[in-house]
Amino acid sequence: MQRQAQTQDQEVETAIEVRDLEIKYGAVAAVGPVSFSIPKGKQLTLLGPSGCGKSTTLRAVAGLEKPVAGVIRIGNRNMYSSAEHLNIPAEDRGLSMVFQSYAIWPHMTVYDNVAYGLKVRRKSREEIDAGVKRALALVQMQDYAARPASQLSGGQQQRVALARACAFSPEVLLFDEPLSNLDAKLRGDMRIELRELQRRLGVTSIYVTHDLEEALAMSDRIVVMNKGRIEQSGTPYEIYNYPRTAFVADFVGSANLIAGTVRTDVSARDGIVIETAGGELVHGTTHGRKPGPRATLSVRTVHLQLHAERPAGDRNVWPVTVARSIFLGDLSEIHVDWAGRQLIIRRSALDKIHEGQQVFLSVDPSRCVLLEDDA
Amino acid sequence: MATSVFKSRRSAISGIAVTAVIGLFVLYPIFFLLQAALKQGDGTVEGSTGYGTGNFERLPNYSGIIWNTLEVSIVATLIAIIVGFLIAYILTRTNVPFRRGLEQLMAVPYYVTPLLGALAWSLLGEPHSGYINILWRALGGEGSIVNVTSAMGIAWVMALFEGSVAFVMISAVMQSIDPSLEEASQVIGAGRFSTMMRITLPLVAPGVLGALIYVFAEMLGSFSAALVLGTPSRFYVLTTAIYLMVTQYPPRIPLAAAMGVVLFAVMFLMTYLYRRMISGRSYVTVSGKAFRPRPVDVGGLRWVYLLLVGAYIFLAVVLPMLTLAYVSLQKLATALPSWSNFTFEHYRVALSQNAVRYAIFNSLELGVITATIGVALTGTISWLLHRTRLPGRAALEYISMFPQAVPRLVFAFGIMWAWLVLPVPVYGTIWLLLIAYLTVFLPLGVRTISSVLLQLDKTLDECGQVCGASWSQRLRTINIPLLRPGIMAAWMLLFIGSVRELGASILLVGPNSQVLTPAIVDAWNFSSSELTAAMALIQTLVVGIFIAIFTMLMRRRDLKG
Repeated sequence: MQRQAQTQDQEVETAIEVRDLEIKYGAVAAVGPVSFSIPKGKQLTLLGPSGCGKSTTLRAVAGLEKPVAGVIRIGNRNMYSSAEHLNIPAEDRGLSMVFQSYAIWPHMTVYDNVAYGLKVRRKSREEIDAGVKRALALVQMQDYAARPASQLSGGQQQRVALARACAFSPEVLLFDEPLSNLDAKLRGDMRIELRELQRRLGVTSIYVTHDLEEALAMSDRIVVMNKGRIEQSGTPYEIYNYPRTAFVADFVGSANLIAGTVRTDVSARDGIVIETAGGELVHGTTHGRKPGPRATLSVRTVHLQLHAERPAGDRNVWPVTVARSIFLGDLSEIHVDWAGRQLIIRRSALDKIHEGQQVFLSVDPSRCVLLEDDA
Repeated sequence: MATSVFKSRRSAISGIAVTAVIGLFVLYPIFFLLQAALKQGDGTVEGSTGYGTGNFERLPNYSGIIWNTLEVSIVATLIAIIVGFLIAYILTRTNVPFRRGLEQLMAVPYYVTPLLGALAWSLLGEPHSGYINILWRALGGEGSIVNVTSAMGIAWVMALFEGSVAFVMISAVMQSIDPSLEEASQVIGAGRFSTMMRITLPLVAPGVLGALIYVFAEMLGSFSAALVLGTPSRFYVLTTAIYLMVTQYPPRIPLAAAMGVVLFAVMFLMTYLYRRMISGRSYVTVSGKAFRPRPVDVGGLRWVYLLLVGAYIFLAVVLPMLTLAYVSLQKLATALPSWSNFTFEHYRVALSQNAVRYAIFNSLELGVITATIGVALTGTISWLLHRTRLPGRAALEYISMFPQAVPRLVFAFGIMWAWLVLPVPVYGTIWLLLIAYLTVFLPLGVRTISSVLLQLDKTLDECGQVCGASWSQRLRTINIPLLRPGIMAAWMLLFIGSVRELGASILLVGPNSQVLTPAIVDAWNFSSSELTAAMALIQTLVVGIFIAIFTMLMRRRDLKG
């Protein structure tokens, strides 16, 4: 009884599951093996630099790329399974996708573009009409229905692509860097709109991007990929605050990496102390990870504090010399010389810091996060 | 569930099947060509004495013909490239007046074809009866000032028509150069001449060299100008010699085949070089993008340039067409016109002769069928090449580009021989011509459709797929509409090409499968030049009307859609 409820629960909960997926181009391994799953109605983002395999993974979910091994399950149906020799073609997977190029068909009107998914499903004239109206209203493009698609601006094409993807009410929406061709201002607006839309429609979605802010702002869950493999997956909060590897620490925001030998003699229960090559002791947090004899701590550039006077306390306080100060507007970037090594600090404080000035550097031990790389 | 496996297996099998069929059509005639070339004796069943290289050993006896071929091809190539380069430079880089219009006119020589040009220039420049020479003597000159039946004359006529091909290739290269590369040189302090020598020329050099090799290969295989101009004075190049050896009595098939193999080998090498040059272009700055460089103000020189381009168009198009029109309207063509000599008789004769009407009908029928099947075939090949991961794609591309490297006359020779031995009754029917046209026009069709297909974003199709459209739905609603310009262009090119084709047709026509272009050559050889001129103009007109109707129908559909 209990077990039955549990399995039922799982079926409802997990909308997309990717297990041990591997994709190859000829002999070159492009992706994998990777595994992740998305609960119904949630948004998962595949984040990584170009060429990391995130788009390829998405295209495999869509059915546009044929994997060599693994399982892709959408709802309670296997879409791809190497064991079963099963590969459902894209047109029969019942999902929808927004392409980086928008892929707006230039020989059709806006109406015909949006109606396409309904037409191929042989809906009645009324249903098509209603569906197109609803979808165009969703992206505020009602007035453009009769316009030839070739006469749209980039932002408008983006909206039409979105309306087209939503028009036939798919349960799964895939986004392949949909905002990367827009200018920065429009991108910011669309980011919020997309998020709203996804929540309102309650669709399950996978979003691919190389833009950190986009990923953090839009996702329920982020999967960071590098060289075809998953570096870390978790909530945006988890990914940002507790990067697992040096790659994630660096790619997701900017971080300073401090390496040293572990001083088990002075380390506390959840904390860790390392001794750098210069002999400084740095206190940090393990976040439940097991350190080896050597360890690397990641510290976000915005979590390092600079003080003109020596602050109180003796943990994680060091004198440093300011090497460079670069004004960036919202933030200033300060490069300091820390006993021969360079650290980068980003701060928005008003007090001016001069190059060559002697200051004190401090950091909260809970902000110095142990990485798993050396473990 | 098992459908996907079945589907992918089915597509792999159909791909392999297409490759195999194309391979058969392309390589089977070549195989027969090689076989015939290696036959000893006179090539008949009774006289055959096994295989050997005897035919090739006899080729040095014909060194005169080989020398003629080289002389004509080299001279014609040089003239064509110089003309093409100059006009490309004038039309892409200077503020010559009427630039746009001239650019469009430059395509016309290609449609006039070397055969019409050769007929007209023969009437104009024959040493004794050519109008230019008659006028020259009437004005008190001695002998002849032009002689188009000489090697130089043949090269001149060939160059006139290949000049527009060279122009198209070289101007494409010139337009693909980012003008900021030259501007950078000028900003750094180099003068216009210095920039031209140090920046522009090195950048266009690979493209010009590529055009040179391509044009040279075309010249080696060209047939009609040498046939019309050289044959009467027994001046032969390899293609006309092969034609003579196959059609004379007794035929000397093995020797002709050996010559064909040599010609094919050289052209194959040239085509290989050309393809290597354009594929391995290391000049990253020469992108596929077309720039519109700001034209240089050349001052008063622009009128000189206009005169140069105008002179080319006059010599290649206007003068030949006027000559043919003039001759076709004369009872007996003379250099000096008179009203009493004026007649429509030749047109009446041409259109009332059953043989001619039959040939016109056959040509049009073949043209429509070739274009329609050809577009479907080359469209499928292009799709397999660029949109699938079909195993053996490279082989398919190679095979479909292969006919480019074979002179059409030689190919037709191989086809004739190959289908003669098959128990399929196509020999002597127009279906054999259809097979020949489909084969020799493969590269043209594949190239035309591929160029449009490659510009088409793949995601346009993928998006339809994700929206739930099946393969055939996407073909109907997305891919064919988007590929329409390429499909239409290919259809037109194949239609025009097959109606005009001489080299591939002349050996394959029979009493029941006469087509127009060989009929024009027959009329030239056995009837009067006036009738020939009328027939040539009728051909041009019929093709023109056909193109006009086709374009109009397509445009009306466009407006409706």
